Amino acid sequence: MDSNDVEEEEFGFSRNYFLAKELCGSGKKSMRKLSEINITDEQVLREAYANIEPKHEKEIKDLVNSYKKSYSEWVFVLRCGFGLLMYGFGSKKALLEDFASTALTDYSVIVINGYLQSINLKQVAVTLAELLWDQLKLQRKSTLGNHAKDQQPLHTRSMDDLISFLDGPHLEDDECFVCVLVNNIDGPGLRDSETQQYLARIAACSHIRMVASIDHVNAPLLWDKKMVHTQFNWYWYHTPTYAPYKVEGMFFPLILTHNGNTQTVKTASIVLQSLTPNAQSVFKVLADHQLAHPDEEGMPFNNLYTICREGFLVSSQITLNAHLTEFKDHELVKTRRNSDGEDCLYIPLTSEALKKLVQEISQ
Amino acid sequence: MALEADPSSSPSIPTVESNLQPFFVLHKASQPRKSTIKARRKIDLSPKNSGSSTEEYNDSLRLETFQILWSNTESIIKDVMKNLNAKVFDEIDKWVHVSFDEIRDCRKLGFTSATRPYPILNSASIAAAGACSQIFTALLFTKNMEFVDDILTFADLGVYLRSHGCYVANLTSLDFSAKSGVGGCLKTLLRQFLMVDVDAPDMSILASWFTEQENCENPLVVIIDDVERCCGSVLADFIIMLREWAIKIPIILILGVATTFDALRSILCSRACSYLSVCEFTLGTPAERMDAVIDAVLLKNCESFSIGKQVSTFLRNYFLRHDGTLTLFFRALRIAMARHIYAEPLSFILRKLVGEEGAKGFDAESTLLRENLLKRALDLPSLKSRCFQPSASYADWDCGLSELKKLRRLWSSTVMCLYEVGKYRKMTLLDSYCEMLKPELCNAGGSDHMPLAKDNTMSSYNHQLHGCPQKECYVVRILQTVRDLPSVELSKLLNRWEMLTRGITEIHEKVKELQSQTTFEENRPKRNPAEASKRPTVRNHINEKTDKNTINKKVAAFLQCIIRQYIHPIENVPYNEIVFFDDVDKLETALIGDPRRRIQADLLESHKFLKCSCCGKNGGVLVPSMHDTSIMYSLAQEHGDLINLHEWFHSFKAVVSQPVPQAKKRLRQSPSPKKRKRSKEPQTKSDASIQAEFCRAVTELQITGLIRMLWNILQIQSGNAFTCRNLW
Repeated sequence: MDSNDVEEEEFGFSRNYFLAKELCGSGKKSMRKLSEINITDEQVLREAYANIEPKHEKEIKDLVNSYKKSYSEWVFVLRCGFGLLMYGFGSKKALLEDFASTALTDYSVIVINGYLQSINLKQVAVTLAELLWDQLKLQRKSTLGNHAKDQQPLHTRSMDDLISFLDGPHLEDDECFVCVLVNNIDGPGLRDSETQQYLARIAACSHIRMVASIDHVNAPLLWDKKMVHTQFNWYWYHTPTYAPYKVEGMFFPLILTHNGNTQTVKTASIVLQSLTPNAQSVFKVLADHQLAHPDEEGMPFNNLYTICREGFLVSSQITLNAHLTEFKDHELVKTRRNSDGEDCLYIPLTSEALKKLVQEISQ
Repeated sequence: MALEADPSSSPSIPTVESNLQPFFVLHKASQPRKSTIKARRKIDLSPKNSGSSTEEYNDSLRLETFQILWSNTESIIKDVMKNLNAKVFDEIDKWVHVSFDEIRDCRKLGFTSATRPYPILNSASIAAAGACSQIFTALLFTKNMEFVDDILTFADLGVYLRSHGCYVANLTSLDFSAKSGVGGCLKTLLRQFLMVDVDAPDMSILASWFTEQENCENPLVVIIDDVERCCGSVLADFIIMLREWAIKIPIILILGVATTFDALRSILCSRACSYLSVCEFTLGTPAERMDAVIDAVLLKNCESFSIGKQVSTFLRNYFLRHDGTLTLFFRALRIAMARHIYAEPLSFILRKLVGEEGAKGFDAESTLLRENLLKRALDLPSLKSRCFQPSASYADWDCGLSELKKLRRLWSSTVMCLYEVGKYRKMTLLDSYCEMLKPELCNAGGSDHMPLAKDNTMSSYNHQLHGCPQKECYVVRILQTVRDLPSVELSKLLNRWEMLTRGITEIHEKVKELQSQTTFEENRPKRNPAEASKRPTVRNHINEKTDKNTINKKVAAFLQCIIRQYIHPIENVPYNEIVFFDDVDKLETALIGDPRRRIQADLLESHKFLKCSCCGKNGGVLVPSMHDTSIMYSLAQEHGDLINLHEWFHSFKAVVSQPVPQAKKRLRQSPSPKKRKRSKEPQTKSDASIQAEFCRAVTELQITGLIRMLWNILQIQSGNAFTCRNLW
């Protein structure tokens, strides 16, 4: 990036800040309010959202189909040892999965949905190792001798061990690899630097090839030069599809809704379902309290701890804190002070939404 | 690709449930894969594709060509790097052994003290141990802020020291993170030395391993490759811990430092610093390495794959102005190679050019090649322009390719000769390489004021040299440098040329001739200096000067001659398409991407990509048929950095609600009631659907990162929402 660009960007940030301040402070009369828009009922809006009439359907289909003739090139690039990175406007999920389903049938393919909130990379690595293991078994039975008996099962191994297994020189044939298809490698579930470091290490393994998509304009900032040049070894392809971000946008609240109940319930339920049963029960305790005492500010920590301990849900405050940190990270739980100055925990949902959520996770 | 209906291998179709799973297995490998050049299922994407076996064969051939070329290039690069570092590695190895001997001399432990599971360090032991209580530390200055280039260097150093009888552990800054603490690096250390994973890492484990297994006869070396990026406190703790154990486990440290000695002082506390007994070593600069790589990969290995002027100029500029890493250069070369092999049907010939057997050996290939060769050969622009049609016989091809190889060798030697002169002007080899690929250079050959008789022995492809560029070009500067060189330097230059051109008879003979002339001049009996000083005349001075000038002129004339003969624009060289890759746009897109600019362009010029007839005609005016997010982003461009959501919505509504003139027109023409109904829709669009479209467009802009919601403002204004663009 030119230094001019950097300066401009820095200037942009400060300008934005002062503009925001100015607008907040002055409270200009001319500001027209969102409430002036005759916002439709949320249910109707959601229905309309689900049934938006597609524009340029044929052109979009033609555009996506036009990429099919590049599939053979993409496979060649993958076989040459590069990682494929698709970028451009529009959801690339269908395109990538179609590519994998049609052109990569010779290889095992695992799909990671980076647009989801929580992804356990250790589990991904275990699955990758299992797939590779199966592939190696098919290819050459003699290689099994080295690993089968004397090594511990894959799922109990450490991440370092799994990565060295994926990188191991099991066969002279470079062609034995498992494909990792990452939808939105810049998505919320994968955006932290530790996860990216692990992804880069996985991508650098000799038995792994990575195909990924990015949507965010600043996605390259996630990687340093080592990751880009030597680990991911990206081969960039500009593949705009203009396809709607249906799944990727699922977790964004609709801007014109008064409250994002339905959306939040859905998001919260997905997050909760990915947690342990004990964590879910802790959440239920809090939810039950909030539903029983709708007028209160929330539940004091000590009360929650006592009830959870009595129910054998947690053994110590540390365990409870670990659950609460997880909830807070996903904005499922917040704190505020009550009139006694005591910090109280509450779930930022209406009683109706909360009931629905409790119902969903109880199923 | 046509997929066989094989239930066991048929790909699972992603479902709604799978969309919500963090990860899932799309499908397992359908069959065991076989090695290259073998029958395999082919992705049959082209409907016209009749000979799938040809395609299969081509695919395998391409991959095999790439693997041969890249492994060849990679091994050349590795060798170059090893040779560049060999001297420093050797010095470090000697230092390690000297240091270890010193430690051994003062480290005399009884069996009982050696096997105690705790460190022995008290004032008495320190006094006894003397210098050994300090940790011998080598600072290896990389002279390069870009650490990525040195990863291989440190790995090589590890291999080198291991091969010289050391136990080596390679650690990186990731092992010294605040999160994992000293335990993390100790764990890695044990993993590398003992080859085991230890849950509770402890130095005593290492101590017992070192003492018990007679490992103590070999030095223990820990290499930390990017010390500036380590967490200072963890590194300091690590050093303090090593010092406590210094007598039992005398570890020798090698630290990679990108900046200066001060870097160590700034990250370590003074106590940790005082425990280090430092020795300094320095690696070559990135520019030196780049020159060595260009020399080995693009000049000495010139008969194989190469890059054209646009690509080399792009890479030079990107190296100098943006990235500055050799690693990017290697990656670019690899991408260029893959791209070239995929796009150029005749690229498989490159593997023949790499091998010792030269261009021969086509007969052994399948008959499929014959078709390929002839079909493509008819299209080669370099042959078309010369009205030369290769016959079906392979003899023509062999001959043509041998000629190409010969020309490339002569070209490379000439560039190397020029680079040797360029060194006096501090020019890099990459500069010389790029300059020599410029077509105007051929003109420059005649720009000098010394017209030479044209030598036509090699000039069957010579095009007419004419014209005189106005500006001083590279060659003119080089020639001037040669003319101005003092005779000693000139003689050295000729010696270097003599070495460089060995094996290239055409140039080597002439160089030797010039060399003999210089030697003759030097050996000519000179007058006694005392006598000369007695009778200093103007004539003597003039004579000496003239002699010097004559030989310099001869060398310059020789240089001019070889430039004229052997430096041709690559476009004029027959079969150049097989060897040269020069599609800079493709390379740039594959290498860098530039998502910010591209995604913005996707939205602002959506009609170009969608190739629709309705949106692009109005010269940038927004029409309702455009993609919603495109409309929204275009509207956002009209606002400042902050957008009032209300105004944005109304602007959007105004655009999508306006009647479509084309739709009206079509309505009149088309009697179909179905069409009529559809074309009326924009006018009757409900508020709900407009709001839904608006919501979706905002969400999509958020996903692309082109806008970000400032929620705090949203709350403060209680109803007024602002959107801020261009933030993460």
